[in-house]
Amino acid sequence: MNAEVWNFDYWSGGLWPYMALILFTFLPSEFWRVISLYIVRGVDPKSEVLEWVRAVSNALLAAVVANIIAAPSGALAQVPLSARIGAMVLALAVYLIFRRFVFGGVVSGVVAIIGAAFYFG
Amino acid sequence: MHDAGSFDVTESFPTRKYAMDGVRVVASGPVFYMTLTFLGIGGLAQQADVSLGFAVAGTLLIWAGPAQVIMLAAMMNGLALPAIALSVSLSSVRLVPMCVSLLPWLRDPKRPWFNVYIAHHIAVTSWVESIRRLPDMPPEGRVPYFLGLAHALIACAAFGTILGYLLAVSLPPQLAAGLLFVTPVYFMLALVRNASDVLDWCALGFGAAFAPISRSIFGSGFDLLATGLIAGTAAYLAQRYHKRRAVGSSKGGAGS
Repeated sequence: MNAEVWNFDYWSGGLWPYMALILFTFLPSEFWRVISLYIVRGVDPKSEVLEWVRAVSNALLAAVVANIIAAPSGALAQVPLSARIGAMVLALAVYLIFRRFVFGGVVSGVVAIIGAAFYFG
Repeated sequence: MHDAGSFDVTESFPTRKYAMDGVRVVASGPVFYMTLTFLGIGGLAQQADVSLGFAVAGTLLIWAGPAQVIMLAAMMNGLALPAIALSVSLSSVRLVPMCVSLLPWLRDPKRPWFNVYIAHHIAVTSWVESIRRLPDMPPEGRVPYFLGLAHALIACAAFGTILGYLLAVSLPPQLAAGLLFVTPVYFMLALVRNASDVLDWCALGFGAAFAPISRSIFGSGFDLLATGLIAGTAAYLAQRYHKRRAVGSSKGGAGS
């Protein structure tokens, strides 16, 4: 087969880009959601094993956040690590002081990062 | 006759109320986080020189931010399609624990394709906004709530993608840094808000602490799933130890 077929530009015109989107990004990603449906067949929502799976999910998402803070990409990398951690701490403080106010925490964290970016930039 | 009977049931159950609850949750904050985050993805799609329709279709079909960023970045670098498929798939492994913990609350064994449709809507934001709420809801309210939530989130994401693509303004780097910070700070606060017991707090703490070590061992790919499995299992064991000690002390040390 022609090697060019594996290049996205080959799939141009009409609906071909969408076909490439479905075959090479939608299906490879969706695969995991469908696999999960097989895994949960017959699993009771109140079963003990789901407690463990929830812990796995929580740990995984905490790792997602930690990775973005420790090793960000793009413009966020221009802000020093101390400022990235400081903005997270500020967001948490605002969230707690204003009684579990997620929106206020997010806004103050983002404003703090923008301020830090201007200061250090 | 049977149809008329089930019609009565849906009439008496306030399905719409639960769907609107889901939409209201989005209106309370995620409407901004989603729109702002996907503004960046729309801008990236414009830089990658794909069509607007392709960019929006990517948001609707992939419905996982990191996978979409990986796809666009890979296309800009002219990566071969099988390599794109592999890295997109690798990044979506993270969805498995979220799907497995949420789907038992939502699936209907009699409607396999509808289950696939529901599973498609599971991503980080829809997970953090429903994992704590679904168990306390009446079973008939769970799917309407979840789909109300997820459809509203996807609408915001599609809107953000279109806006980001059309504006395609190159933001000053300071504002771009702020935009990239929306996701981590929102996820962090949502996870803290959801946490209610030893299991949750240990999972969050262990996960964050183990993440850098895991990345250096496993590289970026399976590192997230590895962190989740290792730190999540450690948290589960910590909670069991904590429970057993609590039981033991309440029995005056006589318990096992």
